[in-house]
Amino acid sequence: MPEIFIDGHRYEFEGEHKVLQFIQDLGKEVPFFCYHPSMTAPANCRQCMVKAGQYMKSRETGEYEVDENGDRVIRWFPKLQTSCNLMAADGMVILTQETDEQVKRAQKDNLELILINHPLDCPICDQAGECPLQIQTYKYGPEGSRFEVKKVHKPKRIQLGPRVVLDAERCINCTRCTRFTQEISKTHQLTITSRGDKNYPTTAPGREFDDPYSLNTVDICPVGALTSADFRFKARVWEMNQTPSIDITNGKGTNIDLWTRDNLILRVTPRFNADVNDHWMPDAGREAYKIFNENRISRPQQKLDGEKVLSSWNNAIATLSEQIEDTDNTKILVIASPHASVEENYALNKYTNLLGLNTPVFTPHIEEGTGDGFLLSDDVAPNTNGCRLLGFKELNKSGICKEIQKAELVLILNDNLVDRSVITADQLKNKFVAVFATNNSETSEVADLVIPITTAAEHAASYVNVDGRIQRTYRAKETKYTNRRIDLEMSEGRLDRYGTNFDNWVTEDNKIDCMPMWEIVNNLADATGIDINFRGGREIMDEIASSVSNFSGVSFAAMDEHAGIQLSIKKETSTSK
Amino acid sequence: MAYEFTKEDLQEIETIKAKYPEVMPATLPALWVAQRRFGHVEPEVQRLVAETLGLPEAHVHGVANFYTQYYKEKKGKHVLDVCTCLSCQLCGGYDILHHLEEKLGIKAGETTEDGTFTLNQVECLGACGYAPMLQVTNDKYVNHLTKEKADELVEKLKNGDELEYEQIKMPQHKNI
Repeated sequence: MPEIFIDGHRYEFEGEHKVLQFIQDLGKEVPFFCYHPSMTAPANCRQCMVKAGQYMKSRETGEYEVDENGDRVIRWFPKLQTSCNLMAADGMVILTQETDEQVKRAQKDNLELILINHPLDCPICDQAGECPLQIQTYKYGPEGSRFEVKKVHKPKRIQLGPRVVLDAERCINCTRCTRFTQEISKTHQLTITSRGDKNYPTTAPGREFDDPYSLNTVDICPVGALTSADFRFKARVWEMNQTPSIDITNGKGTNIDLWTRDNLILRVTPRFNADVNDHWMPDAGREAYKIFNENRISRPQQKLDGEKVLSSWNNAIATLSEQIEDTDNTKILVIASPHASVEENYALNKYTNLLGLNTPVFTPHIEEGTGDGFLLSDDVAPNTNGCRLLGFKELNKSGICKEIQKAELVLILNDNLVDRSVITADQLKNKFVAVFATNNSETSEVADLVIPITTAAEHAASYVNVDGRIQRTYRAKETKYTNRRIDLEMSEGRLDRYGTNFDNWVTEDNKIDCMPMWEIVNNLADATGIDINFRGGREIMDEIASSVSNFSGVSFAAMDEHAGIQLSIKKETSTSK
Repeated sequence: MAYEFTKEDLQEIETIKAKYPEVMPATLPALWVAQRRFGHVEPEVQRLVAETLGLPEAHVHGVANFYTQYYKEKKGKHVLDVCTCLSCQLCGGYDILHHLEEKLGIKAGETTEDGTFTLNQVECLGACGYAPMLQVTNDKYVNHLTKEKADELVEKLKNGDELEYEQIKMPQHKNI
């Protein structure tokens, strides 16, 4: 097998590898700015210099040549090489900054050159704290600058597009953003303009950077040159905590991170998953943080004499179980939801099953034209396939309307059917409507009973995407009934850990008075005298895996280990484009 | 004002495109075609070139912006690029520049009101042996400049006379 020697250690490799990527995959480090594993490597930042050479082999014998001391003879390449575009070859010898002074010096000097025109505005820069330039300057850079004259000034605060702002002075011209628009999103909207030390990325004159994936350039910008117009100046990165999650605004199931401060989701960034979204996510999904923060339903609401009033949990549960008891089983319609997780749907289904009600129905949420063949599908619900795999009855618009006509009591799990014009508010008149919902909507408006449930940011639950991949969320945000200090599965940011209720940056206001669906089912079952006791998403998933054959082998642990599990779905039911 | 290529221009661009396996390398010569036609490559013209070649606008803009000899704004009919880099400077390049500034009544970088002349101060044009010198509209060099020669040049251009290429012999050293 081909072998490569890095810093004196021998490694074997197969296939084609770029040396920088190979070193990174070993868990070692070489500093770099312009390289990105999903894009071409133009080697223009010159930061990833290594010393490279080749052990010489005798042409006749094929054996390595040795010198008089018995050491193998190395033929060094004439100059230092950029490891990002250097292909690993058999018998290659690489020295990185850890073992070679010349490499160390080259990297330090290169950083000094990069920093010559870079403004020293880290204290007000959004990128500070997660800035490759900042981090690598600390690690590999010079202690100070010898540059005593005026820095080059370039345009600042340019609104490149509706979502991206450019500060050209911070730019180090790595061309990651221009390559992104050329190679990944293929809109070709960005280019490097002007010449020499005045260059910076921009759009063609008079054109907007309105790429539907434009915010990815903000993520991959190794400095603070491109910033998000929405997130700009909202929070320092070290104040937030980062929790893995799944995009719930589209059926593609893009892997994301939720960034929380004081129980508000402040931004959404993509999380690497080679099988789903690589490093990218659509701009549309980043708006989702508003769903978690704004317009939430907190505390149950009940309609009394046509007027919505806040109710207590006890009252809400009692009202609903009375309604269920008083209504004829065949007159109860249970509408499950592709917008709710597998666990929530399963919990509701188990309860209605034990009561002897009809199988829940659901209707997919398709918006024609949303799909783009990349990271957006026409299916805008995160769990349509989950509902199918649980064996719910799939109905179209007219099917749902027909069922509703027959029903007297309608239970709707988190699905804004009125808002998305599947049914009209009039159709629900003279029926008792109970919705389990996360946000206020036209649907919750017409309901007689509104029970607030947790969002994907507040519960750990699974979603099956359009391609049949089941992936799960983690709890990012506390509710009134959870506490991240005693819940070891929740991540803690600095403010979460060290803040107290007496600080002015920690408040109770952002915690929503809501419960996971399965706890509400527990309470309902209790009130109806049925034996159900769900403990949490993890246990429910274990139960699903053992009772529903479509989900066999699925568990939180397995999903965590493999970044999601591919389930077998029927091809014709897939709405993936 | 909408810019449009003539049939001949389009034909020329087709010929240029045929020379290369891909379209992208045709950007530079196509921009020249445009600059010859319109006298500049303003953003509108860059857009026209991009559309004609079927290339991204941003790419054409990036290329046009990189090269100083593509005029990104309207210029005078004749563009006088006076070299003030080291050799020319030592031989009186600035004197020539200031003389022309006075004569034309404009500052370097400006265009006369009648749109005949644009005066630029540029860096080395690679003719240090004939300093001081200037270049006329990306084309002919005028070498060994004196104030008289500059005056003469301005008159010639005003009258619409054709400039001639100057042949300058290399110094001959018998001993070598």
